[in-house]
Order: sequence, then structure tokens, then C-alpha cells
Amino acid sequence: MRKLVYILFFMVLAVHAQSKMNTSEANALKATVKALSDETRTITADFVQYKHLDFLSNDIKSEGKLAFKSPSMVKWEYVKPFSYSVLFKNETLFINDNGNKSNMDMGSNKIFKQLNQLITASIKGDLFDASEFEVFYFKNDENSEVHFNPKDKQFAEFIQSFHITFNDKGEVQEVKMIEPSADYTQIIFSNRATNKPLSDAVFMQ
Amino acid sequence: MRYLCSSILMLLLISCASYPKKNGFTVREVRNIENLYFSDTSKDYVYKANIEAFGNSFGGIFIIKKLGDEHHRIAFTTELGNKIFDFSFQGEDFKVNHILKDMDKKILINVLKNDFQVLVAQNPFIEKSFQKDDDFIQQASLHHKTYYYFLTEEKLKKVVRVGNGKEKVVFLFSEINDNIAQQIRISHQNFKLNIALKAL
Repeated sequence: MRKLVYILFFMVLAVHAQSKMNTSEANALKATVKALSDETRTITADFVQYKHLDFLSNDIKSEGKLAFKSPSMVKWEYVKPFSYSVLFKNETLFINDNGNKSNMDMGSNKIFKQLNQLITASIKGDLFDASEFEVFYFKNDENSEVHFNPKDKQFAEFIQSFHITFNDKGEVQEVKMIEPSADYTQIIFSNRATNKPLSDAVFMQ
Repeated sequence: MRYLCSSILMLLLISCASYPKKNGFTVREVRNIENLYFSDTSKDYVYKANIEAFGNSFGGIFIIKKLGDEHHRIAFTTELGNKIFDFSFQGEDFKVNHILKDMDKKILINVLKNDFQVLVAQNPFIEKSFQKDDDFIQQASLHHKTYYYFLTEEKLKKVVRVGNGKEKVVFLFSEINDNIAQQIRISHQNFKLNIALKAL
């Protein structure tokens, strides 16, 4: 009997490893992230991406580098196992697919605007004021996890929920984009460097 | 009048000359073949894709998984991971699990379905067999369409979908190792749609 109680107790603990934040905890997190975001001019980081599809035996792994320059220049560059980069700059999406270059005007495309907003936010974390998302705050051991659910139906068809994990300094550690089917893309950042001088040449294509 | 009839008949016969005849194939004894390129349930087949469609070019990740006998799942995502489409093929059944709204057009889905069926059909029903030079060629029927499977040195290198004696779609398999085609190219002959796949 005592064993059973212990098991139940640990099960409850396990379930509560991720618990909801109260309002003051959520406000504290917002303030930390906002303060960090305000003083962030550049970010570089490495990332590993895992694409999870339920029917696959293994997640599809790819690796790359990320560069951000305030206010909104972002470059995602995949280096392994293929060479591919996307650059968000001046409302335009520039794609370099292993040397094949193309671009797309995002100005008129609501989906791309939101995607860009999410991507910028996923690096800086500063997304809490956006009116386009329902936001939920959780504690996860030392880290904080924030869930952003798009209110726009068209966008929700694409990404049902967007989870960002912050460390105690308010830096984004991990991003998870969950599709309506529950398949997801998980991106884990490492080797993050903040406010290192970054030439505009990095954002040329 | 009779002359006109017979010349029309002649014309029809010539233009309808069968694909094997036009290409000088020699008839051989029927033998069965197996397409093993997507036949291992323990493997995730993941390819980098480049699609040229009607003047547009875009890339993505193309995924095939065999889930059981005559049961495959085929999905296409962007490099960033967003799913574009996700289809199930099971026996005679075909199901769209997901497709982006902009692409949700019956005609497009049918083209993709017909193309991908060829990739996953492991034991196509062979009707006739031929030979030309070093190639063994099997005429197969797949979902009421006629295909020619070209084997060079016992390896499946090419599949051609033929309609009215003409090539409609050509599938090329190259850099073959351990039943995996590192490069696959699907080219439509009557409209501008080409799919190039490179194994990751």
C-alpha cells in the first residue's frame, strides 16, 4: 500500500514538473526577456533541428547557423545534411537553395509576416505583446516555457502551437513548432553569442 | 472513298504503333520484377527535393516510409519543417492526410498520386517482357495505366509511363547502392513538372 502511495506521489510530481506560472511569475519572465531583448543588437548561434513525423522511425536531423541583427534581419543557414539558407530582410524572403537563388515578397502575405514575427521572436523571445497569439506560461525546472497559439485560423492550419523555452537569463534555448497533426519541428540552439559586431555582409545573398 | 478509309486506317495504325514496336523491342518470356527502392520498413527514406513546376522552382524535404505490405506514407515538408503534403498509399486506397490549402486541387493531387504510386509499387503486374540491347524491359499495368520498367544489369534504372504509344512521364533512378537510389528524377513530357530527389 505504502508503495502504491509513493508511486502515485511520484507520478503526480512527474506530471507537475511542468507547471503553470502565476501572473507575477509570468510578468517577471516577460520583464527579463524584454530587458534582454531591448539590449540585444545581434545574435549568432548554432542550431540543431529535429523534424518529428509520427510515422518515421527517427526524427530528421539537420544543423545550421543563425544570425540576427536588430531590428529584423534574420538568416537561417542549414549546412548539414544540405546547404540551404533563408534570409528575412526588408519584408522580403531571400532563399538560397544550394546556389539556386530566389526571393519572395512577404509584404502582402499575412502568413509570411506572422512566420517572420515568430522567427524573430523565437530568437529574441520578445513576443508577449502580440495580439495574434494566445499565450500560456509554464515553469519547467530551471527553465520557462511559453506557448503561443495563433488566433488566425489560416495560420493555425500551419502551426497550431509554438513553444519557446527560455533559460533563467531569458535567452531562447529551444523552439518547438507543433502542427495540427501533432507532428512537430524542434530547434535547439547552442553557442549563442550576443552583441558581437556583425557586418551587413552576413545578410547579403 | 475506300482509298480514303484505308489511308485513314493506315494513318491510325502508324500513329498508334505500340511503344515496344516504335522502339524496336524484342519480345521475351514474361518475368516478374520487384522495385526495392522503398521496400524496407526499418528505413526512413529521406530526400532533398527540387521541384520545377510551371516556371516556379522550389525545394523541400521528401519523405517515404514503408509501413507494411503495400502500405506507404509519403510526405513533403519545407526545409524549415512545415508540412506541405502528406499522403497514404495502402493497396488500392489513397488518402490525403494533409495538404496546404493553396495546393488542394484535385488535378494536382492526381498527378502527384500517379507519380508516387510508381515509386512505392513494389511488385508491378507484368503483362509482357522485352529486350533491347542490354536492357530488359517489362510492360506493367499499374492502376489502369501502362508502364515500361527498364532494367540494366538487373537494376531498375528507368520507368516510363506510356499513353497512346507516347512517353508521358519518365522516372530515372541513378547512383544505386544497397537498394537505394541516391538520385531520382521524375520528368513529365506533356507539361512542365519535374521533380528531382537526392538522398540525404
